[in-house]
Amino acid sequence: MRLAFMFVVLAGAIFYSYVAFVDLSFLSRTGRLGPGFFPRLVGVFAVAMTIWVIVDLLRDQRPEEDDASSWVDVVKLMVLALAYAVLLRLFGGFIATVIYLAMTLTVMNRGKYLQNVILSLTFPAGVYLLFDKLLNANMPPALFSFLN
Amino acid sequence: MTHTTKTQISWLKVGAMAALLAAPLAVATPAVAQQYPSADETLDWTIAFGPGGGNDIMARTIIEILTKYDMYPGDISPENRAGGSGAVGWGYLFAQSGDSYGISTTSGSFVTTPLQADTPWQPEDFTPVALLATDDLVLVVNGSSEIQDIEEFIAAAQASPMNIGGTGTVNVDFIVPTLFAQKAGFEFDYVSFNSMADQTTALLSDALDAMVGNPGEILGLIESGELRPLVFSGQNTPAALEGVPTMGDIGFDIGVSMPRGLILAPDAPAEAQDWWIETMKKVVETPEWAEYIATNTLTPTVIYGEDFRTFLGNTKNGFEVVLREVGAID
Amino acid sequence: MDIFSDLMMGLSLAITPINLLYLLAGAMLGMIVGVIPGFGPSAGLAILLPVTFGMDPVGAIMMLAAIYYGAMYGGTITSILLNTPGESATVASTFDGFPLAKNGRAGPALVMQAVASFVGGTAGVIMITLMAPMFAQVSRSFGPPEYFLLAVMGMLTLIVMIGQQWKLGIISAMIGFALGTVGVDLETGQGRYTFGSAELIGGIYFIPIAIGLFGLGELFYAFHQGTHKTGTGGIVEYDKEERFWPTKHDFMSTRMTMARNSVLGFIVGVIPGAGATIASLMAYSTERSLSKHPERFGKGEMAGLVAPETANNAASSGAMIPLLTLGIPGSASTAVLLAAFLMWGLRPGPLFMEQNPELAWGLIASMYLGNMVLLIISIFAIPLFVQMIKVPYRILGPCVIVICTLGTFSVHASFIETYLMFAAGIVGFFMRLYGFSPAALVLALVLGPLAEEALRQTLTISRGSFSIFIERQASLWIIGVTLLLVVGLPLLNRFGKSAGDAENVGS
Repeated sequence: MRLAFMFVVLAGAIFYSYVAFVDLSFLSRTGRLGPGFFPRLVGVFAVAMTIWVIVDLLRDQRPEEDDASSWVDVVKLMVLALAYAVLLRLFGGFIATVIYLAMTLTVMNRGKYLQNVILSLTFPAGVYLLFDKLLNANMPPALFSFLN
Repeated sequence: MTHTTKTQISWLKVGAMAALLAAPLAVATPAVAQQYPSADETLDWTIAFGPGGGNDIMARTIIEILTKYDMYPGDISPENRAGGSGAVGWGYLFAQSGDSYGISTTSGSFVTTPLQADTPWQPEDFTPVALLATDDLVLVVNGSSEIQDIEEFIAAAQASPMNIGGTGTVNVDFIVPTLFAQKAGFEFDYVSFNSMADQTTALLSDALDAMVGNPGEILGLIESGELRPLVFSGQNTPAALEGVPTMGDIGFDIGVSMPRGLILAPDAPAEAQDWWIETMKKVVETPEWAEYIATNTLTPTVIYGEDFRTFLGNTKNGFEVVLREVGAID
Repeated sequence: MDIFSDLMMGLSLAITPINLLYLLAGAMLGMIVGVIPGFGPSAGLAILLPVTFGMDPVGAIMMLAAIYYGAMYGGTITSILLNTPGESATVASTFDGFPLAKNGRAGPALVMQAVASFVGGTAGVIMITLMAPMFAQVSRSFGPPEYFLLAVMGMLTLIVMIGQQWKLGIISAMIGFALGTVGVDLETGQGRYTFGSAELIGGIYFIPIAIGLFGLGELFYAFHQGTHKTGTGGIVEYDKEERFWPTKHDFMSTRMTMARNSVLGFIVGVIPGAGATIASLMAYSTERSLSKHPERFGKGEMAGLVAPETANNAASSGAMIPLLTLGIPGSASTAVLLAAFLMWGLRPGPLFMEQNPELAWGLIASMYLGNMVLLIISIFAIPLFVQMIKVPYRILGPCVIVICTLGTFSVHASFIETYLMFAAGIVGFFMRLYGFSPAALVLALVLGPLAEEALRQTLTISRGSFSIFIERQASLWIIGVTLLLVVGLPLLNRFGKSAGDAENVGS
């Protein structure tokens, strides 16, 4: 897992450097430091450091002490958070928050149905009042309001 | 992308032909739905930037005038559709093609954003109503500088190149001194800053030789003598900068400025365009509008209808030429 | 004596029932806005600006000043309790604030934070009152060369942050620098890593990244650690009533910290554009190198929280100097105030204080009052916030995700930024898990563009010569101070105590 993450970072760093060397020039037209100067520096450094860390990791193969059980809840939480992002786009701030909280609390706060229902209605309502009424700040609009 | 646009256009042509053929019929039967604007339709006013910005203030000023003098019969619903330097808001209006109740105000980004990003729209695509004012710039030096007026400045710049600061590169701040220098025959290094505040600080610290900027934000410093105005890029000098010549006055007119105008969705019906042109003619006569122009130190430059479309096209092309020359866009 | 009568005039304007009401309302609104992740003082001022439309300028300016300060006070609360800085100036407050809360000292940390903010803010206003014209001179001696040096000074903090796993720390900083280069290149106008997207022209905004990396990242990490399974309480311990108030030792050990950083913060705040972020970072690293126990920093040292908090509030007072004496906004928040001035038809500039004494001195007077009001509000509000962390984490966690999401969205009404926050949250979790430094990433994102732009501006101005850095007086000063901080202080420290402690800093 750790190694996989490092390879993702490496891929990103290589892509970043590739663009820096291919698309961005080191000097500007007038001979000053150009748009590519800093990205090239950063890219090369990032690639070098990442490779160094990966080599270290490969050399010193310690088994990861992670057990699978600790991953169950965090993965659920991440998936739910991503679902929330999609819901926001579709249904707007208030409804998406109600659905998201209902789902997440059902999963995380198992068995306490009444508490979960009350919370997933009152909390979004409070947030709505705070943002929309008191502060007059933007809440995510629902997609269908864009269509009509 | 281009394919769909073409199809749309040809469809619209067909539609226009059909309308033309149907026109005599419409005259024959009393026009019921023709009346523009209808009091039942809500005007969907897109503001392509957040609240408090220049574009927002202009839009809300016009809406206030329309409401105060009862110029628009229906409801007006202003919406800030900010994002992507205007791409989101104007993209929204672009999608309302053919609709007569979608409207928006323009500012500098209306010309520069399509140059920097792959927006589906170009400034000329929209139905032009009117150019109402332009943002113009003043060239200033530090008050302690030995340079007293623009002639001395040009002479000094010809003797040895100067640093001139401005905000951003894909911006009128860069285009104006570049064109001016070409005409007046001097060279300079342009130093790009993130904001007016940054460049003013740099000028006060004597890091820069001169800078260009919107006069509104530095009037206080000009008044106290901390900054010395040399030349103004607009057609006529605002009252606050009395005595400062325009670039045209000294024979180097550059004819580029940021358009603040009003547009409708692409291919909006002609009666909507005409109605808005007539209405804006009344709006620019109000004292409220005069006050807006004065407090924001804008240059009142008014052009209507298709002339505004030509103006937008020319401004965009002018930008493109200069920016391509320096390699900012490709 | 003139100053005294001016101040009295300001106070007499400020102390009317209606103006005091505006002040109180502003302070509370500001605090509420500040607590929401995403809304720092500048975003808070921007959304609340319309509230003051239609008020008379003195009342409006008092309310705006109170919102400004309120958001500064409120912003640190989430840094301490949730490890989520609401804006860049409170990133440094998470370094020791959150560990303090984790160690069960949330109450004392919050109270000391309010006290430090009060001391920094008040000291700042006193300095404005007495020495505004003198500091105006400082404001006008900074150009690109000085900003570059300042950014480099701020980056010294990065070295402190990188800590034990230095290779991972450097990679984190590189990711931050890389994100900072996205957007249209300031100098040439060429798009960098924008891939034709209009959303990316303006670059990657700091707020969604910081909230994702710190707030969501920490939350995911806590769920990975199984914190939510432990009945009541969460990442932050809190159960005993008597541990709410700071001890005498907390006050005594940090009084010099407050004094030092009030001055430091104010001076950095006076420099337009440098502002509260760099002030808080410099305060943190200076305090660490001055401390007898540098090894305790990052693990919940009170001085490590007090230093940046004093400095960022003093800096937010300092930022008023360029606004009042030159009409130049030194920060995003003062830019909103400037917009308000312009809206009222005022002409900020060197003559502003002479031409509008009521407004200028009313503003200064309201800053004194605002700090007092906020200290009192804080003392009453802190127990309420502490209640929040008694909520079981499995319930609190999802609610925090909601607030972070909506807060991020509403700043620019941007879905793209909201998605960016979620992405940063997941990346932040892995960074946290594998020993990277999210703080180094965020600081690099803030300081990278500043350093790059200032360096390139400097070299354009000097036509490629580096000697400009030693030709300008202000630059020389900064270089001198940097050397003193980096070389001088540690040396002094080493004489003061056994050389052993200082050794284990970087290794």
